[in-house]
Amino acid sequence: MALNLNFTFDDNTYRHYLNGELMVLHCHHYMALYTKLAEDMSDYGGPKILKESVEDAFLGFINQVVSDSSLSDPASRLAGGAELYSVLGLGTMEVSGSEAGGEVSLVRSHVDEGWKKKWGNNHKFINHFTCGYVAAMFSAAYGKGARTYDVNEVASIAMGEAKGRITVKQK
Amino acid sequence: MTVLRDTVVKNLAEIEVKGDQDGLIPAFNVLVNNLPTAFWNNFAERMVAAVPADQRAAVVEGLVLSAYECGYHTGYGIITSDEFKSVVEPMVTEGAKDVLRGAFAVFTAWGWAKSGIVQLKEGERMVIRAVDYYESDSGGEGLRAYMINGISKAFFELAYASPYPDGMNTFNCKQTKGIENGDSFGEFVVEKK
Repeated sequence: MALNLNFTFDDNTYRHYLNGELMVLHCHHYMALYTKLAEDMSDYGGPKILKESVEDAFLGFINQVVSDSSLSDPASRLAGGAELYSVLGLGTMEVSGSEAGGEVSLVRSHVDEGWKKKWGNNHKFINHFTCGYVAAMFSAAYGKGARTYDVNEVASIAMGEAKGRITVKQK
Repeated sequence: MTVLRDTVVKNLAEIEVKGDQDGLIPAFNVLVNNLPTAFWNNFAERMVAAVPADQRAAVVEGLVLSAYECGYHTGYGIITSDEFKSVVEPMVTEGAKDVLRGAFAVFTAWGWAKSGIVQLKEGERMVIRAVDYYESDSGGEGLRAYMINGISKAFFELAYASPYPDGMNTFNCKQTKGIENGDSFGEFVVEKK
C-alpha cells in the first residue's frame, strides 16, 4: 500500500506540514522523558493523559491521511494507519481486527527502544503513546470518535519481550 | 562570513523525513520521530492543568528537562554530523559563536522555532528570540515554551561548558517573553548558574 503523503515546508514561518498537519522532529530522549514524566505523575493520571493526548492529536490526522490516500474500506484504512506509524519513525506494527476490536503486534518500537537505550529494561508497561495511537487508528478505520476503544499493552519490548502486543476492545 | 541562518535552513530543512524499513529514523546518534505538534502541546497543557498547584513546578521542570536532555544529546549529534560539517562549517569564521549560530539554524530547520541569537557574551550569557514557534499554539496560562527553554540551555552548554558529555547543568535558561502570553516574540535568557 502506498500512502499519498504531501510533505510541505512554509518558507516564511519555517513550519513543516504533512497532509496539512503541523509536524515537528524530535528524538527518543524527548519521547522517553515525556513518558517518564507521565509515569512520575501517575497519581494525577499521567499515563491516561499521555494516551488521550496522542489519541486526540492523531485521530483527525490519520483520518486525513487515509482519506487523502483514497482508502475507503475499514481494513485498508486500518492498514494505512499502521503504515503511517512507520512513516513517522514510530516503528513497525502488524494489526488485525474488526469494528469490535483486535490486536496489534509491535515488531519495532521507537518508544520502547528509545526507553531501553536510555534506561534499559523496565518493570512495567510504558508505551502509553502507542496505545493512544492504536485507539486513534481503530477509530479512524471504523469511523468512530475518540474514546471508543479500550487499548492496553499485554507484552512489552521495553520489559524485555521480543515483540510488543496491544489489545483493542470496543467499549 | 559568519553562519547565515536562512542559508543553513534552506540546506538542512529536509522536507521528506520518513522511517526506514524498520519504521525508525536513526540519525545524529539518536532515534528521530516526526509527530504532530498538537501531541506535544496537548500533553504539556493537560499535564500542567491536571496537577495541584504545589506540583505544577515539578511538571514544568520535567517538561523543560525533557527538551534539555534531547537538546544536549541530539545537539551534539547534529554539530558533529557530516551534514553540519558540509553545510555549516564552511561558514564558521568565529569559532564557538558560529557553531552556536549554526546549531540554532538547525533548530529552526527542524521546525522547533524560527529563532536566532540576538545577544551573546561568549561563555557568559545569551539571549534567544523566537518569532514563530509551535509551543505558542498551546493552550494554558503564562509563559510555556518549555522546549525552547531547555534546548537553548543545552546548546549554550555544548558551545561553552566542559566538552560533551561532561558539560551539563552549567547554565540556566529563563523565558522572559512569549507569543503565547501576548508578546510579539518569545525571548530566552541563558546565564551561568
